[in-house]
Amino acid sequence: MAIQSFKTKKILSKLSEPLLIVVLILVFVIPVISVLNLTPTTGTIKKSDVLGTSTQSGCTIDLIGGQHKIFSSEKLTQAEGINTFEYTLTIGKRAAGTYSKPILRIKNKTDQPKTITFDGQTTTNTKSDIFLLSGNKSYILQNNLGVTHTEKIVFNPGEEKIIFLSVVNSSGVQFSENFKMTIQIEQ
Amino acid sequence: MSKLLKRALKIAIWPAIVMIAAKILGILGINALYGLDYYIDNQIQGIYSVQICYSEPSSAILVNSLSDIIMITALALPTFYFTSKTLLYQTSFQNPRTIVKITELNILKWITKKGTTFLQIFIWSSFLITSSAITVAHSIQGNAYNWVGITAIIVGILTIWGTIKTYQLETDKIYPRENIYY
Repeated sequence: MAIQSFKTKKILSKLSEPLLIVVLILVFVIPVISVLNLTPTTGTIKKSDVLGTSTQSGCTIDLIGGQHKIFSSEKLTQAEGINTFEYTLTIGKRAAGTYSKPILRIKNKTDQPKTITFDGQTTTNTKSDIFLLSGNKSYILQNNLGVTHTEKIVFNPGEEKIIFLSVVNSSGVQFSENFKMTIQIEQ
Repeated sequence: MSKLLKRALKIAIWPAIVMIAAKILGILGINALYGLDYYIDNQIQGIYSVQICYSEPSSAILVNSLSDIIMITALALPTFYFTSKTLLYQTSFQNPRTIVKITELNILKWITKKGTTFLQIFIWSSFLITSSAITVAHSIQGNAYNWVGITAIIVGILTIWGTIKTYQLETDKIYPRENIYY
């Protein structure tokens, strides 16, 4: 019995040696990977698909999301600095008409007014007017000739607004297009 | 189970912890000291999903450079302590002048064999050389200042020299070089 126990112990001891080598290698490798991962980077790298972002300027931008028959693949990403965001979505094929969807919830959490600049366009011109709607005001981003406009919306202290995206086209569009909008919070 | 492996693992845990902790504390300390604006990014690249980002490239370089220096210093201090302790201990056997100097400096109690082995020096040196290599890479990539890279090279060379010297002294114990005695 004692001999058998001794043999088992010996076998287990031999089997554990490769495991110990692996652990030893990991003890060397993990700190190296950790240090490389901890290397600070600049804001040029993009955040992937954030649903809500609190900025350094004290404004919060939340992606409303949800399902829509025309608008899909919404993404809100942080780009080129802490106060710049990129909103992208796909506008699907559609019949002539007006389509809109709430896309962003923006809140100014500071005690000072904040101006947010919106600059958006589609990759191809489908002769559609693209607007942003906030309250009873509309802000045109791209007209049916493909001309783009930079729009500014002022947020009073503590004010929260729901931003809608609206697309108007007089004739049907038979293919999808990608829409990209840059959101810049001015200091 | 191999005693050498168990001992190596036991020794290697400390420099591994020191390396990670020094880098993290270095980053946090520099941020607090200079009051830098940073944000935590959660893009999944590598083994961690969290990354520290700065809006200004100069801030990222500053933090990376100083945290690298803190990491190297945290690893270099114990490594150089173990190496110099062993070197002085071994040299004192062969050179009476060393004993006289040690006595004059009143560090006789400090120069002991206790708690220092070649394996320990080798493992700590390995971590220090790795850290130096990472810092040099950061410097070459433009993520750290040039002087940080140069410092890392010097530390790396000194570490390699110290390890080789210690190894030489260890082998001398097994195969004594007779020409130094006669």
